[in-house]
Amino acid sequence: MGDKKIEFGSYKEMPMCAMSVDDMLWNHTGSWRNVRPYYDPKTSPCRTGCPAGEDIQRYIFLVTEKHYKEGWETIMRSNPMPSVTGRVCFHPCMDKCTRGDYDQAVNIPAIERALGDMAFENYDWIVKTKASKKQKVAVVGGGPAGLSCAYYAAKLGYAVTIFEKEKALGGVLRWGIPEYRLPNDVLDKAVKVILDSGEIDVKTEQAIGRDFSLEDLKKKYDAVFIGIGLSRSRSLGIDGENMEGVEAGLEFLKSINSGKKVSQGKEVVVIGGGNTAMDVARTARRIGSNVTVVYRRTMNEMPAIRDEIEEAEREGVRFRFLATPASIARGKGGKLSVVFQEMQLGEPDESGRRRPVPVEGKTFTMDVDKLFTAIGEEAVLDGLDSVEQEWSLIKAASRFGDTNIDGVFAGGDVVTGAASVVEAVAAGRAAAEKIDRYFDGKEDPAPEEVRTVGFKDMNTAYFTHAKRNEVPRISPEEALSSFDEIYRGFDMALLHREADRCFSCGVCNYCDNCWIFCPDVAISRGENEYEINYDYCKGCLVCVTECPRSVISTREEGK
Amino acid sequence: MKKVIMGNHAVSYGVKASGVKVISAYPITPQTQIVELLSEMCANGEIDAKFIKVESEHSALTAVVGASAAGVRAFTATSSQGLLLMHEILHWAVGARLPIVLTNVNRSVGPPWSIWTDQNDSLSQRDTGWLQLYCESNQETQDTIVQAFKIAETVRLPVMLVLDAFFLSHTYEIVDILEPNDVKKFLPPYETDIRIDVEHPHAFGNLAGPDTYFELRFMIQKAMEEARDVVKKVDAEFKEHFGRGYGVVQPYRCDDADLILVTSGTIASTSRVIIDEMRDEGIKIGSLKIRLFRPFPFDEVYEVLSKAKKVAVIDRNISFGHHGIFFQEIKSALYGRTDVPIIGYIVGIGGRDVTPKVIREIAEKALNDENPERDINWIGVKM
Repeated sequence: MGDKKIEFGSYKEMPMCAMSVDDMLWNHTGSWRNVRPYYDPKTSPCRTGCPAGEDIQRYIFLVTEKHYKEGWETIMRSNPMPSVTGRVCFHPCMDKCTRGDYDQAVNIPAIERALGDMAFENYDWIVKTKASKKQKVAVVGGGPAGLSCAYYAAKLGYAVTIFEKEKALGGVLRWGIPEYRLPNDVLDKAVKVILDSGEIDVKTEQAIGRDFSLEDLKKKYDAVFIGIGLSRSRSLGIDGENMEGVEAGLEFLKSINSGKKVSQGKEVVVIGGGNTAMDVARTARRIGSNVTVVYRRTMNEMPAIRDEIEEAEREGVRFRFLATPASIARGKGGKLSVVFQEMQLGEPDESGRRRPVPVEGKTFTMDVDKLFTAIGEEAVLDGLDSVEQEWSLIKAASRFGDTNIDGVFAGGDVVTGAASVVEAVAAGRAAAEKIDRYFDGKEDPAPEEVRTVGFKDMNTAYFTHAKRNEVPRISPEEALSSFDEIYRGFDMALLHREADRCFSCGVCNYCDNCWIFCPDVAISRGENEYEINYDYCKGCLVCVTECPRSVISTREEGK
Repeated sequence: MKKVIMGNHAVSYGVKASGVKVISAYPITPQTQIVELLSEMCANGEIDAKFIKVESEHSALTAVVGASAAGVRAFTATSSQGLLLMHEILHWAVGARLPIVLTNVNRSVGPPWSIWTDQNDSLSQRDTGWLQLYCESNQETQDTIVQAFKIAETVRLPVMLVLDAFFLSHTYEIVDILEPNDVKKFLPPYETDIRIDVEHPHAFGNLAGPDTYFELRFMIQKAMEEARDVVKKVDAEFKEHFGRGYGVVQPYRCDDADLILVTSGTIASTSRVIIDEMRDEGIKIGSLKIRLFRPFPFDEVYEVLSKAKKVAVIDRNISFGHHGIFFQEIKSALYGRTDVPIIGYIVGIGGRDVTPKVIREIAEKALNDENPERDINWIGVKM
């Protein structure tokens, strides 16, 4: 032991080089430490950025490890339709991606889509959960919110019945999003995955307020979820609006998506700057029209997804900004003569965008065959008079979607107004979990304290620059000639190349750096994490510095 | 398999055949090709070794020290300034008793800058405790690498293998390439109990007071003395396996020689041409190549040189303020044992060519000068 003085009588008793005679395990150098490192996984910013809270880092890591099924299951815990969101989501995760500050954000939706589509080919991944609980749940509306609520309620062991107004499930995904972005067969498969995952019964062509009432449901079901979205297009409120040739863009999309032949003439104008306006304009381009989008603000204020605007431009959609229709009249040759008021940007409104105000006396006229409105949608709240409402939407009492009526829950656009698929999915899941707690009389969970890491927390010495892998696509010319899906998805090589770009911010991916660098060999690899042996950790914090992804935290000893 | 390869690559093939696990080096002319080929062999999986890139020779040898301390066979190569930058760690490798093998391609030291050969770089490291072996041909170079690991691991001291820049490093010769599988029987995988082992951690390189440091140094000298026999034994064993042996010194036509030229490196082969030529003229002349410089082979040198009437030592180096270094060594080896006259000649510094004509000039001077300047004769200085 350390305090024993060793005397050598002869050189023959000595080791040949300067080394301790005994081993040094008795010397607990950890007592020198004043700062303690500890293994402390955090949250990656993509996950924080995802409205559904998908564990993005984890499923990308699982892809790199070729554990595709586990990767898919990871997504399905937060979002039951990765094939859909992988195609149509506005991917706020990518805006938050740390790699964006390094070179280019990871193509997260492409990876999500690949995993989602993989389940279609590996159908044994889908496990049907039996209805083990006695309560029954009714879901009104088969769009993203309703499907999500149904999926998670079924996974929690409830028998679910979905009431859908139309002939098929999908809601806005089916009727509002063109096939070149989300093919019907993909949607069909995505819906089938959900329905096959639990005991979910579907009743189509059943509209609340028309075919049944909320009271009917209350009698037969223990909980009701309302996720009916926004189904009515907003009107312009100008003269001539009801004239033939003026049509709601959403109706047009619905006709096209249900396979109806539509003729809408050569010159088409679309009013609006959101995703519906882009979908309408690009769909009209595909059936041979010249299309102008007229928007009352500028491109900067357009609420449409940036990619959609760029695609529309690529496909020859023209834009006319700072104008709003003032009146519509029948012009020469049966055309519509549309008078537009020119606008300019004034003070910012409550959304932070500058408010368009008319430029006194400045107007222009366009002669068109067809005018589509795409200035927003509103909820149709027939049969829901007893549910508390606000701004013509259902008023939710909490972020979990409970309403003023016991046992009635709501979520998605019908609560938030026009939002996104992923937010509706999140709301559906939140409501399903809330319903479960409602049955069991459980308290709502406190909001989680999330510690998100950022670019400054990364040790970029361990990363190399690599451009984002884009999803292969057909050319804009090919795209214009049909409704074929534009983006064709990753093959396995691309999937892995892109997955390998993930920094795994804040979450350990077992890179071994801490283990390699620890000069005291005080770090060992455990089953699922690294363990620090505090008998020997001297608190040098090399592990903290060399962890590329900020997984190891520190705290002062004795505090 | 026989191949025509350059001297530097003969080193690489020797390293490959030795089953080395860690190689670390910093490039320097004229050595670079050694580690260049080794890095390719590492990259393409030809050898199962880790190649550690570093930012200096100091780090290169330090990395190799680390690897060797962890108990694996490790190699580095360098030249000139690179070797001098390693100086501190050369001592470390000896004190820590690490069986590292290093190849130094003899290159003159700057300034002025020179990439050409002389022996001052390696000879200035003679007291560090490294064994030194000077090679003459590509075949000998390859074979000596394999021998060097066996010697180093037997006596637990590092070995420096030295070859001339360009005259050997860049000269192509036929080499019978050693196959790693054949070498395994001669040089089994390295195993040692004295190593860094995380399961049984020891303190290494710790403070040794005056009560132990003395003994530790005594043991290094003892190991060096043992190494004289080990080098011979390993060479003999190598000869049994592969049919080639080199000895610690190589006498050539010395038995009845009046004059013996003492040489090292490539000058040894050049001098044999002149010896044959002068023998044909009836002059009794021979040569003695010194292959093992540390530990110095006193007895072998005495045995050969004591029979001569005159000894001429050819040095491609200079100990400023003293004489040629081989000359000093020969003198000290023979001191008190024989009074054969020993004459020192300085040649070829900074890579100046030592041609057969130069050797003949030395031989004739040594034979004919009635009262030669004994200690130092500069051959070819522009006066």
